[in-house]
Amino acid sequence: MKKIKGFRFSRGVHVPGLKASAEKPIEDCPVPELLSISTSMALGKPATPIVAVGDKVKAGQLIATANGPISGNVHASVSGEVVAISSRPNGTGGTETYIDLRNDGEYETAYLPPITDGNAEELVQRAFDAGLVGMGGAGFPTAVKLKPRSPVDTLVINGAECEPYLTCDHRLMVEHTDEIVRGARYFARALGITNIVIGIESNKPDAIEAFEKYADVKVVELKKQYPMGGEKQLIYCTTKRKVPIGKLPADAGCDVQNVATCYAMCEAVELGKPLIERIMTVSGGGVPDPKNLRVKFGTPLNSVVTACGGAKEDVVKFVSGGPMMGFAMVGLSSTTKKTTGGLLLLTEKETDYSPTTHCLSCGKCADVCPMKLMPMNTVFYTKAGDYDGAAKYGGVMNCIECGACAYVCPAKQPIVQNIRLAKAELRKRMVK
Amino acid sequence: MSNVIISASPHVRAKTSTRRIMIDVCIALLPCLVAAVIFFGAYSLAIASASIVCAVLTELVYSAIYRKVWKDFKGVMGRLFREFDFTSVVSGLILALIIPTTYAVKGELFYLPLYLPAIGSVFSIALAKMVFGGTGRNFANPAASGRIVLFISFTAMLTSCVGNCVIEPIIKSADVSEILSGATPLTALYLPEGGLTLSPLDLLLGTGVDGSMGETCKIAILIGYAYLAVRRVIKWYYPLIYIGTAGVFAVMLAGFNFAYFLPSILSGGLLFGAVFMATDYSTSPKSTLANVIYYVCLGLLNSGLRVATGIEVTSFCILLMNCLVPLLDTYLPRRPFGYVRAKKEVKS
Repeated sequence: MKKIKGFRFSRGVHVPGLKASAEKPIEDCPVPELLSISTSMALGKPATPIVAVGDKVKAGQLIATANGPISGNVHASVSGEVVAISSRPNGTGGTETYIDLRNDGEYETAYLPPITDGNAEELVQRAFDAGLVGMGGAGFPTAVKLKPRSPVDTLVINGAECEPYLTCDHRLMVEHTDEIVRGARYFARALGITNIVIGIESNKPDAIEAFEKYADVKVVELKKQYPMGGEKQLIYCTTKRKVPIGKLPADAGCDVQNVATCYAMCEAVELGKPLIERIMTVSGGGVPDPKNLRVKFGTPLNSVVTACGGAKEDVVKFVSGGPMMGFAMVGLSSTTKKTTGGLLLLTEKETDYSPTTHCLSCGKCADVCPMKLMPMNTVFYTKAGDYDGAAKYGGVMNCIECGACAYVCPAKQPIVQNIRLAKAELRKRMVK
Repeated sequence: MSNVIISASPHVRAKTSTRRIMIDVCIALLPCLVAAVIFFGAYSLAIASASIVCAVLTELVYSAIYRKVWKDFKGVMGRLFREFDFTSVVSGLILALIIPTTYAVKGELFYLPLYLPAIGSVFSIALAKMVFGGTGRNFANPAASGRIVLFISFTAMLTSCVGNCVIEPIIKSADVSEILSGATPLTALYLPEGGLTLSPLDLLLGTGVDGSMGETCKIAILIGYAYLAVRRVIKWYYPLIYIGTAGVFAVMLAGFNFAYFLPSILSGGLLFGAVFMATDYSTSPKSTLANVIYYVCLGLLNSGLRVATGIEVTSFCILLMNCLVPLLDTYLPRRPFGYVRAKKEVKS
């Protein structure tokens, strides 16, 4: 359908695009000899390994099963032998259980049977079996999203990609338009609806044009504004519905899926291929040749960077994900996961670590907050240890952690850090 | 790669800093200072320097004592200079610009002694800003408090200035001391008859009027306002709310005499206060609704008190409203995105 202009949410910031790899076609990343597949690739509890050391596995074979409602299945991404199952630091401060696979170079596959004309239940089951999770960054299991609590009438496809540097969704939309649309149709069928809306930021005109030729997909051209890719903002800008605070998109009658998830769904249904690889962007000033790579899960980040020409000397920060919401890592020791949409090697010039000064009370954080909260109050009360005050006067529990407040802060206050601390403390209290 | 940084997101940040914002404010104040030099002579520079130097020194000395400088002189001083963010320069400069350069005793003109701005800025930095926690934690506008202290302590000196214009005043009243006896042309304005003898153009250019050194030339203030608005240091519409409300209310108080609109917004310290003092970050509210209430109240108070008292009241109004800001911020919380809908659901 011909594109229509999207709405604009109030507040938000304009972040420079810096999308150096926007014109680079997707390439296959060389698969290394040894892969370490994490079992914590979905939001919930880690999956339980069902293979033992010494087992021979095929690509696509289930090697760890979901543990609990919001956990996800994990599949072997190559064929080979399980050489170790161990718990190791994951590079961002925690420990994860890794299943180490020795790649035998055969790439024998053991995919699921393809589905033709599946009904809703079959499709939801397939999303679960294939280990599909939201690939925008949070890693929420797709199968759970496909069984909403309240009736849904619109499927919103997230093609905003509002984070700077990242271009993987952009390339996917240009190169695999048809697969994304087919995947979206499967999602719509699983939800029992026909209304599909895709929101794409206006800085990707080629992607918008590519989707315009599908009669059943409503293309919405979104204003370039951060955080446009946030679920609540995206729903508002494409459908003008507001998700009530503390509620899920389903309460506004919407279901949001990322374009990468749609692509994975298409492969899972038509080829029976579980989620074993994804497209990721490797970029930043510390990478000589920024690229969009198709990587198998478990590929060490080191070999991903090597495929892009190796890290430069002046790298000071390794970021997994986008620069606004991603995580800083201690190095390149960890491996790629389902949620690793980007790997950024930032130089000192790009990442600002000028020292924190006194809060000016300028209110710029409140001016840009897309959720219309009061971040400076959150910081003020959290520093004093008054987390109830942070919730009452700062509205911290409604925060989506987009980082717009910390981006504009002239005093360089660690706002998001304080917000996470307050949230963690408040959640701890709720559990008690 | 030994110096890898780990920090919470975001990993990129806007190219801004406290220091840069404060330097922007200083740049915006420069036209006013230049106008002061043109209209009131080079002595304005002496007053401005005295005020700024005292403000900066007060801040440094206060912080040095607070951080126990005698224990680690080099470390503490190094930290103070590294963290120096130009907020005290801004306060000192604003204070200098809202006091006059001269005072009159029995028709004779004298330059304002330099200890006046010095006292004012020491007070404003030490007692209005630093004791409440320094940058961003003060509840009262430092410059406004400094001016009020001077105004109350040295009333005669601050309110008796008469023409010392380098540019010849257009209105050369024989009785200039009577018409323009206030620190601003306000007293003239609200005189029962002959009040509107000053034309709006004179007020706009600052010719023929006398008053505080930075407040008289409105063109300079408007240049500063444009700079601040373009650099997005302040929101362009907030000062306009203040000025507009004040003008409209003045017209209403004068019995819908629209001739009062321009003179009332162009006279006195209203424009300067609206652009540079009311918009001070730490003493203005944070949410949009609270801000609108704040600026509307300021406008109403300003015009109302001017009529009631016949003197220049902008600093008083700003200080008064500053005291209400914490209340506005606490009792007018922002409604988060999606709030209205949640409320409806609770009711049903």
